[in-house]
Amino acid sequence: MDLEQAAGFVLEEGKRYGIDSFDLIATDSEDIGIEVFKGRIVSTETSRSRGVGIRVLNNSRPGYSYSERFSKEALSQMVRDAMDQTEITDPLDMELPGPKPLAEVDLKHYNPALEKLDFAWMREQGLALDHASWESDKRVENVPHVGVGKSSTQSLVANSKGVFVKKESNVAYLGTGLVVAEGDIKKMGSYYRSGRDISQFDPSYIAKEAAYRGTELLGAKPLPSGVYTIVLGNRISPQIFGMFSSPYFADAVQKGSSRLVGKLGNEVASPILSIYCEAHTPDYPGSRLVDAEGIPTSARTKVLENGILKSYLYNLESAKKDNVLPTGHGVRSYSGRAGTSFANMIVPLGDKTRDELLATDSHCILVTKLEGGAGCSAVSGEISIGIQGIYYKNGKPEHAVDRITMNTNYFDLLHKIKGISNEYSDSYSSIKVPDILISEIHVAG
Amino acid sequence: MNQSNIETLIDAGKKRKADFVEIYEEESRNSSISLRDQKIEQSLAATDYGIGIRLVYGTDVLYAYTSNDDQQHLLSLIHLLADSRGEVGNGSSTFTLPGDVSKYSFSKNIHDPRKVPPFRRLELLQTADTVARKVSSKIIQVGVSASDIVTNVLIANSEGLWVEDLRVRSRFFLSVTAENKGERFVASESPGALKGFEFFEGLAVEDIAQKAGERALFMLDAGYIEGKKMPVVMGNGFGGVIFHEACGHPLETEAIRKKSSPFVGKLGESIAQSCLTAYDDGTIEEQYGSLKVDDEGMPTQKTLLIENGILKAYLADRIGSMETGSARTGSGRRESYQYAPVSRMRNTYIEAGKDSLDEMFASVDFGLYAKRMGGGSVNPATGEFNFAVEEGYVIRNGKISEPVRGATLIGKGHEILPKISMVGKDLELAAGTCGASSGSIPVTVGQPSLKVDEILVGGR
Repeated sequence: MDLEQAAGFVLEEGKRYGIDSFDLIATDSEDIGIEVFKGRIVSTETSRSRGVGIRVLNNSRPGYSYSERFSKEALSQMVRDAMDQTEITDPLDMELPGPKPLAEVDLKHYNPALEKLDFAWMREQGLALDHASWESDKRVENVPHVGVGKSSTQSLVANSKGVFVKKESNVAYLGTGLVVAEGDIKKMGSYYRSGRDISQFDPSYIAKEAAYRGTELLGAKPLPSGVYTIVLGNRISPQIFGMFSSPYFADAVQKGSSRLVGKLGNEVASPILSIYCEAHTPDYPGSRLVDAEGIPTSARTKVLENGILKSYLYNLESAKKDNVLPTGHGVRSYSGRAGTSFANMIVPLGDKTRDELLATDSHCILVTKLEGGAGCSAVSGEISIGIQGIYYKNGKPEHAVDRITMNTNYFDLLHKIKGISNEYSDSYSSIKVPDILISEIHVAG
Repeated sequence: MNQSNIETLIDAGKKRKADFVEIYEEESRNSSISLRDQKIEQSLAATDYGIGIRLVYGTDVLYAYTSNDDQQHLLSLIHLLADSRGEVGNGSSTFTLPGDVSKYSFSKNIHDPRKVPPFRRLELLQTADTVARKVSSKIIQVGVSASDIVTNVLIANSEGLWVEDLRVRSRFFLSVTAENKGERFVASESPGALKGFEFFEGLAVEDIAQKAGERALFMLDAGYIEGKKMPVVMGNGFGGVIFHEACGHPLETEAIRKKSSPFVGKLGESIAQSCLTAYDDGTIEEQYGSLKVDDEGMPTQKTLLIENGILKAYLADRIGSMETGSARTGSGRRESYQYAPVSRMRNTYIEAGKDSLDEMFASVDFGLYAKRMGGGSVNPATGEFNFAVEEGYVIRNGKISEPVRGATLIGKGHEILPKISMVGKDLELAAGTCGASSGSIPVTVGQPSLKVDEILVGGR
């Protein structure tokens, strides 16, 4: 059975079992890729993974199951498994949607030319990148990570009310992670390009950028503990904003896992900050015309505008609970339960250059690297995290910094934003945040 | 798959001149039930199934996986892999397995979770929710789940190995959120074991929920420690995550073979004080990270990593062993058929020492007692690690003082090891999940209480 046949069979089984209401997610993806180390292809991988997941609402009680086997027996068992689960779950007040017209936008998520990329192309690109990485700087000591590959995915959302939407996408990647050394100090620099325009996959440029990201941190030393002005560089500001996306989800608000409860219409951030969810931007990885529950998406949802909290993001369940219309932010994999997510999280560009932001204060830290997120909590807002970057004095780079930590709270940080740059990083990402200037941040060193 | 099909696949790989061919078949039945907002919000039962095919040429690894067990499809994957190297077949011998099947299982007396009706787990969740909420009206949310997985693994290879293993694991997860005037704190607990439903039957759910609720409430009002370098006393049990991340990963041959570890070439050298001895042991009954055989079919073992401060061994899988010359240690692991195996930890811990916790406190004028750690991570190539402290206290004049929250520990593993100067008697193990290149796998971390003479503590 292919993907559509499997989905069709499950829809028929659902009806045969007399299930009130159900929906399904199905995906089928093929990936190939190689890994290169010291001029040798040390690993080659090819995969075909697929699965279908069902959510049934039987007398309003939800039950989930999934199957990675596409045989009639396995899919029928999956439907029965989901039905069995409804015997113990609590009723859920929600209704599945019927089919609705979708926006006529070409999201440019599929490039037929990528299908022609084969192992020979990957070998050529990977070996070229490995060579370029070793040659990119005389301080390169090791190149443990060079990878190139591509994936193609078909996905499908369908339900018992007649929704049946299929999507096809593909993407390729090429990247390197290298170690540079000077004396006893070692730093890693990584740079990956991904997307559908392989004319952007220049091994020489990728290697040089990775080497730059490593070498700029050589010679790093700590700073004395204190309160500093910092600039979150646009390579890492998306990481910080991404870690704290869930407080904007209605289900987190409703379940006490967000400090933004009761804040709609209130000022929760600096007036220069806006956060939008944009779902129809072509060639952005998070773009989608319909969400995972069959709800058509909007081109733009204003979540936070000029510091004012404008809207939470809703899926079917949370929308029903607040008695509002769902905003098309339901998300689900075939093996998981329905949740909420941004499509693309966008912080609009500001009007200053990064250099102008760094010259705002006589002492400033440009943060270019974060060390793990274990000390960050989206529920409490706590941020306690190791950082690396460049110390600026009077607008000029003084020296690299490491072995320091940044300590603040996300919800306080939002109010301390004093400037936003006019540039995003060039990563293929669903989170676009420029450089962000923040005042009065505790730094320990 | 039957023996004939497996032989045909291995034969196909051999005919394409692979030095080594391995077939890995896996079927898992997993179930989970979760409660949040005082409602059973999800109950799931499902089946994962797939096959991984590994061809090895020298030490080059070619890997394919699929959930489609059609024989022609599997053969096409083998040819696709071989084609990627330009390997031409020679059409010679026919491969035959010797017919000796080794069947393993740690789980001799399991209460098979597949035979337990879902409602049996309901009581656990509801008890945890009730107990945690009773701690205080400031407890505003409780999330609790119970999950189990029964996995049948078949591993066959061109050396004639044919191994089957049954693995049954269970895990309980609880998070308690306390709130006061907009401030929130989340305390969590997540015990797990290589056991079936008997794990839940023996679990002290009320005690776990009570302590998590009390900790969430207590830490809600905690202040912040002033960030700077200071001595740190680390709590036992999950505190072992710091050794797992900062020292365990860099001892895996996956890092060693790529010269991507500060411990390359250090075998036999002193890397820690003589008070420190550490093991990685896959053989401990019922521990979450235990395995009878690893995912390459090799029986696991107790591996001495560091003895009295001297580095004794790396953790080696097949490829890592070939490239580094280290003996295989039964450490080839993967999350599922969707990953090729690489060297990974199992149950990693620092052995009990001779110091008492009070002696450690008494040796500190000002420092941090990191009683409970959160998660952490490391970059093996540079050794740079970070850890979150979930429950911490200031140590002042040799005594535990006020609680503090939001502390992070950062440093480099090979620089911190020599600074561990005291090792306690109170060894404890704790379940965890470890993410790396072959996916997320169940592990156990552990240690007695430790004193580190100096480490950077992030605070305000």
